Amino acid sequence: MTDNLDATDPRTLPGFFDALADGTLLGGVCTDCEQVLLPPRPACYACGSRAVDVEPQAREGQVFSYTAVHTPPPGFAADAPYTIAVVELADGGRLLGRVAADYADVAIGDSVELTVRELTAAEREVALDYEVDWPVHVFEPR
Amino acid sequence: MPEPVIASVGASPLGRTDLPGRDLFSVALAEAFDGLPDPADLVEAVYVGNQSESYEHQIMHGTLLAEWAGLRYVPAERVEGCAAAGALALRHAVKDVRNGEHEAVLACGVEKMTSAGTSGATDALSAAFDRAIEQRSGVTAPSQYALLAQRYLHETDATERDLAEIAVKNHANAARNPRAQFPEEIDVATVLESDPVAPPLKLFDCAPVGDGAAAVLVTTAELAADLDRPQVRVAGSGASANNIAVAERDMTDIAGARIAAETAYEEANIDATAVDIAEVHDAFTVCEALLAEAVGFAPPGTGYQSHRAPAERADGWTDVQLSPSGGLKARGHPIGATGILQALEAYEQLTGAAGDRAVEGAETALLLNEGGVADAVTVGHVLTTAEAR
Repeated sequence: MTDNLDATDPRTLPGFFDALADGTLLGGVCTDCEQVLLPPRPACYACGSRAVDVEPQAREGQVFSYTAVHTPPPGFAADAPYTIAVVELADGGRLLGRVAADYADVAIGDSVELTVRELTAAEREVALDYEVDWPVHVFEPR
Repeated sequence: MPEPVIASVGASPLGRTDLPGRDLFSVALAEAFDGLPDPADLVEAVYVGNQSESYEHQIMHGTLLAEWAGLRYVPAERVEGCAAAGALALRHAVKDVRNGEHEAVLACGVEKMTSAGTSGATDALSAAFDRAIEQRSGVTAPSQYALLAQRYLHETDATERDLAEIAVKNHANAARNPRAQFPEEIDVATVLESDPVAPPLKLFDCAPVGDGAAAVLVTTAELAADLDRPQVRVAGSGASANNIAVAERDMTDIAGARIAAETAYEEANIDATAVDIAEVHDAFTVCEALLAEAVGFAPPGTGYQSHRAPAERADGWTDVQLSPSGGLKARGHPIGATGILQALEAYEQLTGAAGDRAVEGAETALLLNEGGVADAVTVGHVLTTAEAR
């Protein structure tokens, strides 16, 4: 089994978000089947292997699918409607995130780049204690 | 191995009601036990499908509902799997009867979704998505399914109008279902002109928020015969979990649904062509299209034709009728109760109790209940008439 995990290990969420706060997107990469895991985790969902390396991932990618949220959860109401997308990153992993563009200005295949910001005051209010310092990623059109 | 059957069903009114969850359950239970001995004289265990404690600030539904049914000192538990909770509860009951542990098990589901308005339901449902990435990006249930819909429209010949036609078909079915939350016919323009919720999905592409409870009694075939009840065989049961994050799954090949259905088919010793009716998880119109393909009713890329009469569908489609109840879309979708409501519909169809909406000659039904977005968890059941052995 995996060696002891602690909160500095990027296969845990605190470790992953610490790196993201510094601008580094870390992914797990299965050494058996090469599946990319975002965020990193102790085991590969594709093949079950626990031989997962952690490697920096490209921040550039393309929109795989997208929509806009018109009926937001409380805490996000002031931002609506806002665009979200599933982005296929250049290193092969797929990640969901906000897109800093109007829905009408986005299309499948658009190039985007991952950026990172701190939580807004409204997001802070709905964050759990341990999430307050975790950044949020946003995809910027390129 | 004892063969599990459904021996009785019941449901509360669906939609906006003035009853809390436990009372909705009491209404459903009263219908299910009409003409039967009291639950205390029959039921040996209870499973309750329930999505969220945020609606009523209440967990412990196993204990609570067993007590309200007059049952003491029986094993009783809440089963959680978002909108698949009901079918998971049914699956536990089926397994208990199959393995000989119990002769009669109550599988039920309850949700009081209207307690905190649309915003409260939106918030409660968002808990079904990955907290670290998806929730913190502001996703909602409609937006998660919209990501699938956008991709489906991109990859296939389907149009927003095709998805609207699925809603129209399911409303037409619900118009003949006295249990339906929305027993009204609608037209395509109503769907296409309704407010955007998460494009390409609009208000009338979405199942409603609503209250409801439902209960089914799962017994051995022998006990159902002793009770002189019409019985429906539970011939197959399958379940499958897939990744929690939608980004890490195939968004148009709903693999978890295929595996859950195929497991249930295998147990029932049938294939997809044997299925006459299917209650699939049409929480959003696109789901019916995707699931028709996943469970083997439709060739890839043609599931959106589910609203058409069998003769007008693409080659390779089966003759199955989808969502005769009106589906989640129009019958209603009180989250934890939905899987049980699907079983109730199949029971009524297969025992000749479906009235005006009866699908002629129906002998085999597939139930497919999902939780989270798409196949985060899927439960499939094959139900057949007692004669179809």
